[in-house]
Parts: sequence; structure tokens; C-alpha cells
Amino acid sequence: MAAESMSEPAAVTSTAATGSTATAEHSGGGGLPQFRFEYWGGQIAWLLLIFAVLYTLLARVFVPRIRRVLDLRAATISTAVEQAKAVQVQADAQAEAAKADIEKARAQSRALAADAKAKATAELNLRQAAEDARLAGELAEAETRIRTLRDAAMTNVSGIATEIAQSIVERLSGEPASATDLKAAQSAQGAN
Amino acid sequence: MDPAAAKYIGAGLATLGMIGAGIGVGTIFGNFLSGATRNPSAAGGQFTNLILGAALTEALGILAFVLGLVILFS
Amino acid sequence: MASPMHQFEIQPVLALPTVNIPGLGMIDLSINNSILSMLIAAGVVIVLMTLATARAAVVPGRVQVIGEGVFGYIDDLATSIIGHEGRSFFPFVFTLFLFILTMNFLGLFLMFTATAQLAVTATLAAMTILLVLVVGFVRNGANMYKLFVPAGVPWYMLILVTPIEIISFLLRPVTLALRLFGNMLGGHVALKVFAGFVALAFGGGIGLLGIPVATLSLGGIVALTALEFLVAFLQAFVFAVLTCVYLNDVVNLGHHH
Repeated sequence: MAAESMSEPAAVTSTAATGSTATAEHSGGGGLPQFRFEYWGGQIAWLLLIFAVLYTLLARVFVPRIRRVLDLRAATISTAVEQAKAVQVQADAQAEAAKADIEKARAQSRALAADAKAKATAELNLRQAAEDARLAGELAEAETRIRTLRDAAMTNVSGIATEIAQSIVERLSGEPASATDLKAAQSAQGAN
Repeated sequence: MDPAAAKYIGAGLATLGMIGAGIGVGTIFGNFLSGATRNPSAAGGQFTNLILGAALTEALGILAFVLGLVILFS
Repeated sequence: MASPMHQFEIQPVLALPTVNIPGLGMIDLSINNSILSMLIAAGVVIVLMTLATARAAVVPGRVQVIGEGVFGYIDDLATSIIGHEGRSFFPFVFTLFLFILTMNFLGLFLMFTATAQLAVTATLAAMTILLVLVVGFVRNGANMYKLFVPAGVPWYMLILVTPIEIISFLLRPVTLALRLFGNMLGGHVALKVFAGFVALAFGGGIGLLGIPVATLSLGGIVALTALEFLVAFLQAFVFAVLTCVYLNDVVNLGHHH
């Protein structure tokens, strides 16, 4: 790689391993420790190795694991939300059904009440009509009876009137009046 | 002139490059703050851009700083 | 006063035979403290990821939350910069980020920072740029020249723009390597310099005046260490972001999004 080839020409001094501690004591007189290129090769090689291992572990094991958990969590949450929504819809439907049931029952009871009322009214009407008819019959009967009685009484009255008129005429004139005359007088009187 | 003195002066002069980076980073954060106080809701989304700009600006100052250290410890 | 550069000295830990790799010459495979800290960093990464994915429960535990948080962070980064093809490059970016982050953090706990070795950062940068080049040539073939010839630029401007693009592309591995190296080096040097002030304040013959100086320096070390933790994370993040940006340049060459 590019970085490694950079370090290659510098890794020539071999006495560095023993010399590094000595330069450290003399307050770093030999340049920055980072520019001691004899250590670059080992660091770069180890870094590449470590990075490769770390990358492989992360890319193959840890990242898929975390992503699976995150996906699983998202799926769990979304299914839970879906479920809650479905339950909500179900509950709404149930509430709707219950309302409809109540409405139906109310309508039914209302119909039943109306029915009962109508039946009662009809029965009442029927009975009333029957009673009325009976009463009317009785009334008519009574009226006919009264009429016959009155007629009888009326005939009696005319008889009595004729008799009285006869007796009055007899008393006044001394002679008995004829029945036809009386009748004529009577009817004339009745016509007025 | 004493070569050691010249080295120290040179190192000090090299680190002067950090002045520019300091001004630049200050401008970035100052402008970010003045923008963020005007529209705080948009500030969170610009955090990456803020850090990016600051890092790119700071790199030049770091360049001067490293150069100064290299001269100082050469 | 000890040199602030002493902490970057390579010291042998375990001697191993020198191996002759054909075409590259003799390479001393002895384990020194730089390699040891790289091995420890890789071990820490592997142990953490093993713990994070051991149970792989739908309702995560503590370590799993950390692992999945880092995973999601870099995953979002790769997909937002590269697009839907970011998934195929995600393992590489994720490995880079985790490895650099662990080495940076270990540098604050151990005696040695592997990412303050130019050999390490240069290799990481060279790997990244090599991957970018390989991906670019495999996907675009001869169209790679479009990387240096932005679309929609008039020809007389191209005379100016193309050399600048070429130079900035050639500088990419250099800045990528030097940014991480310089940040780690500078931070640790500053820490050591402040630590040196503490020793100097007591040994410098200023008597009791040394106490406030040493206290101030110690406070400076504490503050700088906190800053270094931020820088350690930020540099790993920046390396990952820049890897994504460079990969995006060649993956989505020609069509901007």
C-alpha cells in the first residue's frame, strides 16, 4: 500500500531499538519520536492486521447483529401498532354493532309498544263498538217500547177525549153526540 | 546568529499560521451561533456541516503547528 | 523537566522476529507500546460490541443501548451524506470511527496514544483514500476525471478550477492524516507542558510562590483534559464524516443531491 512504501526507504537504521531510550533521556534531541521511521513498518503492518480483523468482525458479526435487532425492534413496534390499530378498528366495529343492537332493540320495543297499544285500542274500540251496539239496541228497544206505550197512551187519550167530549156534549146538549162528529172535531183540534 | 536561537524563532514563526485557523474557526462557530439563535429549529441539522467546516479550517492550523514542532525538535 | 515528547517515544514490549515481506523488505514485527495500545483498543472495541450484542434483546440493556446509540449515530451519518448506498460503506466508516475513538480515549487513560503516531494516522488516511480511489474507479471508470472538472463551469474557469481541485484532492490524505495526528499530539503536548509547570513551580527555586503557580497549572491540566475528551470524540467523528464526504464524492459523481 502507499503508506507502507513510504516507510520503506527510512527503515534502514537497525540500531534504533537500543538507541530510542537513550534519545528520550536527552530531552528528545533527535527530532520528533513520530518521525523515527524504523518503527513505521511494524506499526503499519500491525495496524493493517488489527484493522482487518476488526473490520471483518464488525462487518460480519456485530453490524448484522445490531441491524437485525434494530429491524426486529422496528418490526415489533410496527406490528404492535398494526395490532393496536386492528384492535381499535375491532372495538369501533363492536361499539358500532352494540349501538346498532341497542337501536334495533329500542325500535323493536317501540314497535312492540305501538303494537300493544294498537291492539289494546282495537280491542277497546271493538268492545266499545259492541257496547255501543248493545246500548243502541237497548235504546232502540226502549224507544220502540216507549213509542208503543205512547201510541197506546195516545189511543187511550183519544178514547178518553172522545168519551169526555161525548159526556160533555151529552151534558151540554142532552143528547149523545155521534162518534164521527167527535172524531172530526178531535182531528180538527189536533191539527191546530 | 546562534543556530539554536534561529531554530526557536523559526518554530515560533511557523506556529503563527495557527492565527488564521483560529480566526477561521471562530468565524465558523460565531456565524453558526448567530444563525442558530435566529432559527434554533434548523440548528440541529447543521451540526455535521459545522464540525466539517471547523475541521477543514483547523487542518491548516494543525499543519502550521506540526511544522512548528518539527522545526523545534529537529 | 522531562521532554513533553517523551510520551511519544516507542518502547519495545515484546520482541518478535523480523519478517521479510516480499516486495516490502524487512519489517520488524516486535510489539512496542504503540502496537500494544492498538491491540488494547481493538480488544476494548470487540469486548464492548460483544457485550452490546450478546443478548440482542428487543428491549435493550445498558450496554446494548450504548452500542446501538453509536451504531445509529454513524448509520445516520453515512446515510445522510452518501445516500441509500451508504449502507455498503457503513461497516468501514463504523470500524474507523470506533477504532479511532477508542485509541483517542485510551490515550487519555494509558501512557500512550496510538493516534498521536504519524505512522498510524497516515495508514488510516491512506486506507481511506485508497478505498475512495478504488470505489471511484470501479464505479465510474474513465469518468473519474469529472471529479476535477465540476459540471456547469465555463471552460475559461476550468483552467483555474481544475488545478485547484487536483491539488485539494492530493492534499486530502495529507490533511486527513495530519489533522488527527496534530490534534492528538498538540493536546497531549499541552497537557505535558502544563504538568511540567507544576514540577517547575516547586523545583524552580521560587519558594512559596510556587504554590499558586502549581495550583493554576493543575487547574489548567484538569480543564485541558476535559477539552481533550471533547477533541478525542470530535476528531474520530471528523474522520468518519470526512470519509463519508470523500466516498460520497466518488459514489455520487456527477449527480449532486
